[in-house]
Amino acid sequence: MFNGIEKNTPDSNIIIGAGPAGLTAGYELSKLGQKSTILEADKLVGGISRTVNYNGYRFDIGGHRFFSKVPYVNELWNEILDGQFLERSRLSRIHYHNHFFDYPLKISNALVGLGPVESFLVGLSYAKSKFSPTDEEKTFEQWISNRFGTRLFNIFFKNYTEKVWGIPCNEISADWAAQRIKNLSLSEAIRNAFVSNGTTKSGEKITSLIDKFHYPNLGPGMMWEACEGILNDFGSPTLKQQFVNRIFHKNGRVSHILTKNTRNEATEYSGSNFISTMPLKELIFSLDPAPPDEILKAAKLLRYRDYLTVVLMIDRPHVFPDNWIYIHTPEVKMGRIQNYKNWSPDMVPDSSKTSLGLEYFLWEKDEEWTWEDSRLIELGINECAALNLIQKNEVLEGTVVRMKKAYPVYDSNYHHCVELLRQYMGTFENLQTIGRNGLHRYNNQDHSMLTGVYAARNTEQLEYDVWAVNTEQEYHETDKATAKTGDRLVPTKIPEETPADGFNLEKKLKEQLKLIDSFAMGSAVGLVSGFLLFFATILLIIKSGQQNNPTLALLSNFLPGYKDTLPGALIGLFEVGIGSFSIAYLISSLMNWTFTLYLSIIKRNSEIEENKTILDKV
Amino acid sequence: MNEITHAVIRMKAGVLAFVFALLGGFSLFIMTVLLLLKGGQNVGYHLNLLSNFYWGYEVTWFGSIVGFFYGALTGWAIGWIIGVIYNFIVTSRNPQS
Repeated sequence: MFNGIEKNTPDSNIIIGAGPAGLTAGYELSKLGQKSTILEADKLVGGISRTVNYNGYRFDIGGHRFFSKVPYVNELWNEILDGQFLERSRLSRIHYHNHFFDYPLKISNALVGLGPVESFLVGLSYAKSKFSPTDEEKTFEQWISNRFGTRLFNIFFKNYTEKVWGIPCNEISADWAAQRIKNLSLSEAIRNAFVSNGTTKSGEKITSLIDKFHYPNLGPGMMWEACEGILNDFGSPTLKQQFVNRIFHKNGRVSHILTKNTRNEATEYSGSNFISTMPLKELIFSLDPAPPDEILKAAKLLRYRDYLTVVLMIDRPHVFPDNWIYIHTPEVKMGRIQNYKNWSPDMVPDSSKTSLGLEYFLWEKDEEWTWEDSRLIELGINECAALNLIQKNEVLEGTVVRMKKAYPVYDSNYHHCVELLRQYMGTFENLQTIGRNGLHRYNNQDHSMLTGVYAARNTEQLEYDVWAVNTEQEYHETDKATAKTGDRLVPTKIPEETPADGFNLEKKLKEQLKLIDSFAMGSAVGLVSGFLLFFATILLIIKSGQQNNPTLALLSNFLPGYKDTLPGALIGLFEVGIGSFSIAYLISSLMNWTFTLYLSIIKRNSEIEENKTILDKV
Repeated sequence: MNEITHAVIRMKAGVLAFVFALLGGFSLFIMTVLLLLKGGQNVGYHLNLLSNFYWGYEVTWFGSIVGFFYGALTGWAIGWIIGVIYNFIVTSRNPQS
């Protein structure tokens, strides 16, 4: 029951959610001279990019490296934080069965860690994947196994991925891998093979996230707290602990929304434009009147992975040198450990102490989600001790942070459901859904921000497609920018197909890089050769009027039964036809095989480079 | 590599005919010239047998020019027919492409 309804002064723009997408939308609107009201359900801004402060210890919800190939996003970051970034060296390793493996993986280090027997088996498995890959790549397991072999998949991908996503890898869509892990285009592979010299297409020097990254000295939340302040000064307030309860609409337009606060007091917000970053599923179920059953069913099928971090304060200045460690060891529940002090020394109040974030990926329905904090802290201490990272008595204190719906799940239903919801959302004139959960897309911070920019500009009757962000099957950490995301970002309009789109290398290559149909070539050459001999023989018979003409007689050395007679001509036709067919078929096949092998090698080499940081994308 | 392995090339019969014509014409021309340069008795005994098909051709300097045209004509016909037959078979085997 609501205590009452308070009419709020109408604003032109209402933004639901003060995460990167929502605050960026507000920021972009402010640049356009428009004010907005931002409604946040939590006490903190930043969404999953927040920084929590516990007794002076700061920690992230996961780690957020600041790196984008979208120049406009970089501009925004620098504008908002005025360049207050640290450049940090990156170190991350994999923990598996009491061994630390370098990450990105190094062959020598991996072989030593795995031992000779396991290394041999990994080699066999890899060879098998190369010579006999799975024909279809519908699942994540198939996708990875085809590239690394089943055994490497089991060691370095299966446990961690299943910890993070809580779904067997053979049930995770390969789409997800394709989106998160760049699949090189053919033209890119060829370009790399021939002209790559450490530069992008536009000639920019390639820098890599593998070694270094930028980070605000007080964590990513610093960015969003600063943004909130700027917006507040502009007259666009962020109202916290406002839970959106109902979104009222009529004739394809949202008229107002109803929120309630922690005291169950209701407030009504009206406006002309509404931008939502709330999870797509919740958005659909908040609509009043309710959408058709088909839409409700689709929304109900969307799933989200929840996240819980146990933060331990350790009485030791240095615990391990990594920024984070992937925990593949299946005996412990945690998936990853963050060492916040190694992200920024300012994340701890006392340099003689260290704070570790033990990350657990759960479903809300999991038993651990409801455990008391003290029990979770005890679990964390025991697991860290089991991994030989700390002594139990070094732990000073601990805390727990839970983050619901941290990750949209890409299961077998999501694609169809999201498409339905996308079409339905397109029926609203003044309601846009953006951000990671708003689009049910595993966007990084910069992509979420980009959707905010697009949504803000769409309020001025422009048509930017927020759903098109991060759908290029390319991932910016690879540092190879696409034309859409790598050039200076002025958001592009929904493209209209025109015949004069200019030179398209990918299209041109696909037009040119085709194989010969060996059967057709063999048949054509066989027929022509056979009939050529046949008609030549007939011509000789007609012309000379006698048999045993020496002109073609020598061919009988190679063509048994051939003579300059009619039956001989038919035998010659048959034999030359078969022989020529075989030769042409063989040559065509060899040409095709060589060509395909060559391109495969080019592409494989490029993919190996791309996939060195594959776990970062899980 | 799917984008390649699933794409089958179509021949341009005219281009194939032109290439075969060049090959055929120059091959016969060069073979004839080489035999003439080599000299000796019964110059081009075997190659002269082509006169059964190419009226006016012989292993002489003039014949090399005649042979060029015959070779080119034959090459053109062979290339064009191969191109046409190849495309016909490819189209029959891949009706939707």
